[in-house]
Amino acid sequence: MLSGIDYVVVIAYLVGIMMLGLYFARFVRSADDFFLSGKSLPFWAVGMSIVATDISAMDFVGVSGQSYRFGMAVGNFDWLGSVPAMLLAAFIFIPYFWKAGLYTIPEYLGRRYNDYVRAVASLTWIIFFALDLGVLFWAAAVLFEPLMGWPPWFSITATAVVIGLYTFFGGLTAVVMTDVVQMVVMFVGGASVLVVGLYQVGGWDGLVDKISAMGDAYGNHFKLILPADTQTPFPWTGILFGLTLVMSNAYMIGNQAVVQRCLATKSEWHAKASMLCGAFFKMFIPMLVMVPGLIAVATYPGLEDGDQAFPMLVHKLLPPGLRGLLFAGFLAGLMSTIDSILNSTATLWTKDIYERFLKKGASSRHYMIVGQLATVVLLIFGVATSPLSKLFPGIYVAIQTFLSFFQGPVFSTLLLGMFWPRATQWGGLVGLVGGIITSILLYTFKDSLFTIQEPFLYVSWWSFVMGVLLNVTTSLMTRRHPEERLSGLVCRLTRDLKGGCEAPAC
Amino acid sequence: MLNFDWLRGVSPAVAKAVFLALFAVTGLLVLMIPRQYIYAGVKSPRWWHNLKLWALGVLAIIFTIYYIF
Repeated sequence: MLSGIDYVVVIAYLVGIMMLGLYFARFVRSADDFFLSGKSLPFWAVGMSIVATDISAMDFVGVSGQSYRFGMAVGNFDWLGSVPAMLLAAFIFIPYFWKAGLYTIPEYLGRRYNDYVRAVASLTWIIFFALDLGVLFWAAAVLFEPLMGWPPWFSITATAVVIGLYTFFGGLTAVVMTDVVQMVVMFVGGASVLVVGLYQVGGWDGLVDKISAMGDAYGNHFKLILPADTQTPFPWTGILFGLTLVMSNAYMIGNQAVVQRCLATKSEWHAKASMLCGAFFKMFIPMLVMVPGLIAVATYPGLEDGDQAFPMLVHKLLPPGLRGLLFAGFLAGLMSTIDSILNSTATLWTKDIYERFLKKGASSRHYMIVGQLATVVLLIFGVATSPLSKLFPGIYVAIQTFLSFFQGPVFSTLLLGMFWPRATQWGGLVGLVGGIITSILLYTFKDSLFTIQEPFLYVSWWSFVMGVLLNVTTSLMTRRHPEERLSGLVCRLTRDLKGGCEAPAC
Repeated sequence: MLNFDWLRGVSPAVAKAVFLALFAVTGLLVLMIPRQYIYAGVKSPRWWHNLKLWALGVLAIIFTIYYIF
């Protein structure tokens, strides 16, 4: 349980972040301001925001739980699963999208293929983000309960109200600028567990010695690359094909919550630099979320549920004051992820569904209000669905499972649309829908098809392959698009959506 | 096939070499990006605007991590 000084730290953080977020409400006058910050953001704010958005309670609780069970291999998600994809995004995709003046990734798919593809992609992301909100709120409850003694419903409701207020009024600018502060708080809070924990086990060498002495069961705990026949969810084949080639690219290039803030930067250089800045900070994340799991192995072996490793460390190791700081860091990670998801989902709904299909030609202020109302509806939905997370054995695996359903198919559609002029509107639609159905079937029959416990990396890869095959096959059987329609939408064709296509791949 | 059984004979050491090669190739591709493209959107370029340096720095760190572990 937290002490008096911890409460002071946490309340000071909450009040400060609320005031900061609400300060930016004065700059929000239109849909452009609400969804894209009027294209005024600097690279460092966006880079830090990308990292803060990506790291949440899920990672503090879930990744430390996975490293407790399986070791360092879970660190692949923040290293191999981010850096190469962020470089690809920085130098190829993001400048292309930025120059096109896009709001959303499905908007590109709609221009390249057709409105069905745009709607399917957008609705899929909306559903994912909405379910993701539920998982995030439940993660909050998991940590709040042992530290604050709050019942889950109270933790979830309180979190939703605080975040909802500044996201509703301040739009993307409030989200990004609070993310900057939240990333700093998160790093400082996470570092407190790391430093105190490593001190307890005799430093890094002491940690290695202690775990190595625990027997063969922990022989792979300090290896990033695990054999192809490992029973963990992280065989190197899955890391290479599922994570590196598909999931990481899909996440960094096709994820609205990540890409949207890059589109809000003030110049093309800032757009590229924001991704590289994010890649730099991203490499420190495993220190904060993975190493605590290893420390818990050395100090508290034999926990039945790995997800209890991080809360256990906080409860047992941290003194008053530091516990409050860590709790503020946890809140920061949680809030930065939820506020980004709220704003991005509101953008998807407003731009891809409402403006495109329900009410065209309304004023910019009208669309801003629709985005704000969507924020409120999403909050309510996230709170209502949060108990569903109990059905899944591990919180982090749950979110990866959701992701693997459509990351591969969306990325295949995006990739072929950008680089293969022969891809047609029906090829895109069949590839996208067929890929998602493939994911669902593979996951439904996973016990008879796969030999590892949670095959989300393999599901991701094979649904990507199926998406490509279906897209190519259908495209070759349907009428090709005239070149003038594709001009600016496909690399190597003469111009981008607004000006000249200058990407080196073009 | 779905479980990549045909790659089970590949040792983790060889797999690690594959990942290290991936970082090295990425670095080479970064070096090939035209200077004009790197500085697009910058009015008066300074040395720290060179995004190739940023990318190579990040790749050097991740290469070291995977080389050690």
